[in-house]
Amino acid sequence: MSGTAGGARAALDRAADRMVDATAVERFVIAVASTALALAFGAVVVAVSGYDAVEFMSALLYGAVGNLQNVAFTLRQSTMLVLAGVAVAVAFRAGVFNIGVQGQFVVGGFATTLTILFLAPHLPRGTVGGVLLMLFGTVAAVIAGGAYAAVPGVMKAYADANEVITTIMLNFIANGVVFYLIDGSLRPPGTSSPNTPSFPDYVGLPPFAFGSSSFSVIGLGVALLAVAVVYVVVARTGFGYDLVTSGYQESAAAYSGVDPKRMVVATMTFSGMIAGVCGALFAIMILGYYTDPATFPRFGFDAIAVSLLAANNPLGVVPAGLLFGGLDAGGQYIGFTLDVPAELIDGIVGIVVLFVATPELFRIAGRFGGLGGGRE
Amino acid sequence: MSPPTETNADAAETNANSSETKANSSETNADAPGESEGATDAAEYAVELDGITKRFGDVVANDGVDMAVERGTVHALVGENGAGKTTLMSVLYGLYRPDEGEVRIDGDPVRFGSPRDAIDAGVGMIHQHFQLVDPMTVTQNVVLGHEPTASGLVDEASARADIESICSTYGFDVDRYLDTRVEQLGVGVQQRVEIIKSLYRGADVLILDEPTAVLTPNEVTALFDVMNQLTEQGRSLVFITHKLEEALEVADRVTVLRDGAVVGTVEADATTRGELARMMVGRDVLFERRPRETAPGHPALRVSALRVRDDRGLEQVRGVDFTVREGEVFGVAGVEGNGQSELVEAVTGLRAAESGGIEFDGDDIAGLSRRERIETGVAYVPEDRQERGIVGEYDLVRNAALGNQTIEPYADGWFLDWGAIREHADAIIDEYDVQPADSEAEARSLSGGNQQKFIVGRELERAPRLLVASHPTRGVDIGSIEFIHDRLREMRDAGVAVLLVSSKLDEVQLLSDRTAVMFEGEFVDVVDPDDVTEEQLGLMMAGETSGSGGTEAESDTEPGAVETDGEGEP
Amino acid sequence: MSASSSAADYARRNPLTVGGAALLVVVAAAFVVAFDVPLADLLTVGTLQRSLRAAMPIALAAVGGLYAEKSGVFNIGLEGFMIFGALTGAAGAWLASGGDSVGQADLWVGILAAVVVCTLLTVGFAVLTVTFEADQIVAGLAVWFLGLGFGPFTATVIWGGVSSPSLPNVDDVTVPLLADLPVVGELLFDTSPLLWITVLVVVVAWVVLYRTRYGYWVQAAGENPEALDTAGVDVNRVRYAAVVVSGALAGLGGAVLSVGIGSGFTGTGVTMVDGRGWIAIVAYLFGNYNPLGAFGASLLFGAMDMLQIQFQTIGVSLPGSIVGLFPYVAVLVVLTLVGYTRVPAAVGEPYDTEQ
Repeated sequence: MSGTAGGARAALDRAADRMVDATAVERFVIAVASTALALAFGAVVVAVSGYDAVEFMSALLYGAVGNLQNVAFTLRQSTMLVLAGVAVAVAFRAGVFNIGVQGQFVVGGFATTLTILFLAPHLPRGTVGGVLLMLFGTVAAVIAGGAYAAVPGVMKAYADANEVITTIMLNFIANGVVFYLIDGSLRPPGTSSPNTPSFPDYVGLPPFAFGSSSFSVIGLGVALLAVAVVYVVVARTGFGYDLVTSGYQESAAAYSGVDPKRMVVATMTFSGMIAGVCGALFAIMILGYYTDPATFPRFGFDAIAVSLLAANNPLGVVPAGLLFGGLDAGGQYIGFTLDVPAELIDGIVGIVVLFVATPELFRIAGRFGGLGGGRE
Repeated sequence: MSPPTETNADAAETNANSSETKANSSETNADAPGESEGATDAAEYAVELDGITKRFGDVVANDGVDMAVERGTVHALVGENGAGKTTLMSVLYGLYRPDEGEVRIDGDPVRFGSPRDAIDAGVGMIHQHFQLVDPMTVTQNVVLGHEPTASGLVDEASARADIESICSTYGFDVDRYLDTRVEQLGVGVQQRVEIIKSLYRGADVLILDEPTAVLTPNEVTALFDVMNQLTEQGRSLVFITHKLEEALEVADRVTVLRDGAVVGTVEADATTRGELARMMVGRDVLFERRPRETAPGHPALRVSALRVRDDRGLEQVRGVDFTVREGEVFGVAGVEGNGQSELVEAVTGLRAAESGGIEFDGDDIAGLSRRERIETGVAYVPEDRQERGIVGEYDLVRNAALGNQTIEPYADGWFLDWGAIREHADAIIDEYDVQPADSEAEARSLSGGNQQKFIVGRELERAPRLLVASHPTRGVDIGSIEFIHDRLREMRDAGVAVLLVSSKLDEVQLLSDRTAVMFEGEFVDVVDPDDVTEEQLGLMMAGETSGSGGTEAESDTEPGAVETDGEGEP
Repeated sequence: MSASSSAADYARRNPLTVGGAALLVVVAAAFVVAFDVPLADLLTVGTLQRSLRAAMPIALAAVGGLYAEKSGVFNIGLEGFMIFGALTGAAGAWLASGGDSVGQADLWVGILAAVVVCTLLTVGFAVLTVTFEADQIVAGLAVWFLGLGFGPFTATVIWGGVSSPSLPNVDDVTVPLLADLPVVGELLFDTSPLLWITVLVVVVAWVVLYRTRYGYWVQAAGENPEALDTAGVDVNRVRYAAVVVSGALAGLGGAVLSVGIGSGFTGTGVTMVDGRGWIAIVAYLFGNYNPLGAFGASLLFGAMDMLQIQFQTIGVSLPGSIVGLFPYVAVLVVLTLVGYTRVPAAVGEPYDTEQ
């Protein structure tokens, strides 16, 4: 006799409930086992496809941490994945499936680009101007990312539109619109590729020890700072308590004074703001200009795996982000050197997610294997 | 087998049993039900329940219940919420397996592993929540799982013919709606669809679980016609209800359950509503009403002409007025589902009122959010602690913050002071005797009574000026009940206005200074608990206005009147 | 209740929906006026024909997806299964031809292979979601990631790059005489046989869902599994069947995309499927879970997809990157407006008989 449009929401809520219905130890075991199994599966696929599995695994490792340059690349990818992962974790924690971090990241980075290019002529050149430009650019990214995420939040809260689908559509739309604007209005005359002009050379983060043009310890610091901020918000503030309680049990949250609809919008906005920071860092630290978002790495999607692997815990996102950053770096190295396609890593990420989504599999395996994976 | 009088007999029951005996002796060749004499009376009883006991953990839901349904009769099963009616019928329908006792259908012992077994044995159940697929048509629902087919497709023509023949046999009007989606039908018709579904599957025995709870008076009349048609055609019916006049009107015999045990079985035409009411609610009062030491003060909560709709848009509270004063417990009694939940949600801010006023300390709070009402001093012990009152996965520290997110000293600006919250949790645990006394225990690992004590502690320690307590002792052990009652009384004596909603009559009687009885969204009457008998309350809960008692107990009762009543023990 | 008062009542309850619809009409009208769109030139038989072709993959996946969701399992992995289908279609055809010139028969082998492979993959998906009660949303996302990864990976293993070389498409078939009928002849009898298959799938899906006992069971499994269970039907078996059908049809849709209209597999970016699986979900929501409605909605999205070509033909200059977004924007509008869609009540809930 129940039903109507509330059913879908309830289904999502129940799904969210099940996600968090595991003890901390269990989560850790599941995370490690999922990753190990997925890598093993990857090695088998490599072997079946006619490559050398041992070579594959060792190249993967070398690509991730083999030399200083590779470590820098791993850390660069990890920085992005940690930020995007925290953005995802915030939403998932509240029972809201924000699959649109990629789009929010694209929009955030674009806002940074616009701000820097627009303000650069009006500010003093040099370090001070550079720092100011980066600050304003980041603020713009936070606002833009938050606003872009608020749209599906409002659609979910007040029109019951499934946020998984709306956020994915908004990813496509972000890519298309940003491309259109760059290609149509920002491309310097006479150039053929859809790139904006480069940022002034005093805009950028110093490389410090790694000597990499696209990785700075400051960037990693920003990511870790974001993790710390999110952790404090979630663990120490009333808003964070409201957010997490909504994810566990929406009716209890409502009982305690939370307005469920507003909470959905607030959660999405918060998540999008963090995704915006990720975009700002991408534009400033990695690119130094902006281009067709279709060519960007899919940090926003890999971040879903990062967050799920961390059981949507902001602190857990750091090791999970490092792991996936390493996988990503290793995968790209393999793509260059072994001609094993780098896309394999995307598939391995998918397997990790699939395993993490099915804790029951491990519980049953644990019960049969006597590994104590069962509960109680 | 022992006769039903084994349980705690008082005058009414003896009376009931003697009338039963009389009725039995007037029947030709009849044994008393429950006195199984083997197969000789197999043909007479469609269903026999023999010494059914069903336990859930430590709770005994059914305690040695005997009941026998004669073929071609309506047998009513009455009792308060929680008396064990639905559990007993779930045993008969194969949803639960009894811990002790035997079920016999047509004299043959059966063991049902699932409802499917019961259906195959000819037992059908019409649940309060219909087992219908809303967007499918009546015909499709009736034949679901038993579809006649012709060349691969469902043979709707043949299905329709079968249903029409059932309709004409029993005089149902459902054949008009065969191609209508179930969701477009009123509940009365939906119910008949459920009945037809059971008949289509060959049910001989039909269990109707509170079938009138969702019906309008006209639909009730129509249902009774249907029930009479069914028995005339030789089907046997079990009719679960708490509305006594309905039981008397339609049933041949009535079995009364209380606290999981049979109080008695009586012939419907040899008993009265009053007698049934006493059997249903009468019991040794566990706790004495205590004289109160303080007089109620100024009005704290004033509700006027309140109307509230439920999630489906149905009006559940239909123009309720009342006032709760400082230092007073205002009790709302009534069978569940008569608008109490919506009333409580409207007062506490979880549900917007359709119209009407809610004033607290002279200020209109109807427009305030739930959080604003908490901050104004409205505490709420919810009816569903697993859903609302606690978060099962949180430890008690984090549960102590629930509702306190903006209350000092637990909140400091945007931040929560977990040190203060931890101390608070420990204080609650200590003060309210929560076991285990470990603030880091997960809330779901606690027993119901300890969870409830924790919730009560958290809400009361916020120093509210209005406490809304909804079924505060549901599913709670005796010791915790007494403890919670004492705390509620302390709050009252400290000058807090208490709105108590409970379906347990003895609880309302025990704690209230004034009692309103709610029925179908309205207050039947507001009475002084000392001036009214349980029989009268039982009748009022069934929707009948009582002529006596509580005439001056309206919202403007003199404070002194209640005080005097409290001092003069009845 | 009279029609007008019920309309007013509806408007009162859904101000956002009605306001949104009104806004949409205004924007569309403004668009037509601002760009001086010659509407008559836009609505031609050619337009419809192109739209039908573009609608095929979406419609097939949508019909599959609606079966799964009707039965109570939200198959959010349609996009992923379509990627696997598109890849297997092209790869199957390529391997069948031995890598030389791919012939028409090879294409059909590829299509068949796509259906078989996706059926097997979905059996695994059903085991996880139905039996092991995996989170349906996350598992579905995982399928997408798997497609995004292993699709281009396998393509690279076979062809040395993420995309296949250019392959022929399934040839159109002209039915003598019937093809000469005005409009209908051009649309239906001088066209790809894959369109016939699509239409056949849609019609059969409709008949099965609404006229056979299996269809009744699928509906009941998603709406009130307990009612079905007490009627003696195994709910999880029904769900298995529906989920496997959804994967098979999504795979077919993917193959139609790669060897029916796409001239091979493209694995760059988010692959050639490019969101069609997600659009398929919205198509069946918009079609109110009715296969015929889902087909109609797919046609709408197909038409959106073809607008770019259409605009070029009639000389309206709008950048392709913006016109290409029309389907996605339409999805957002539809999803916001169809808040009233009746989602099956038990979607997302695993069913345990013991309860």
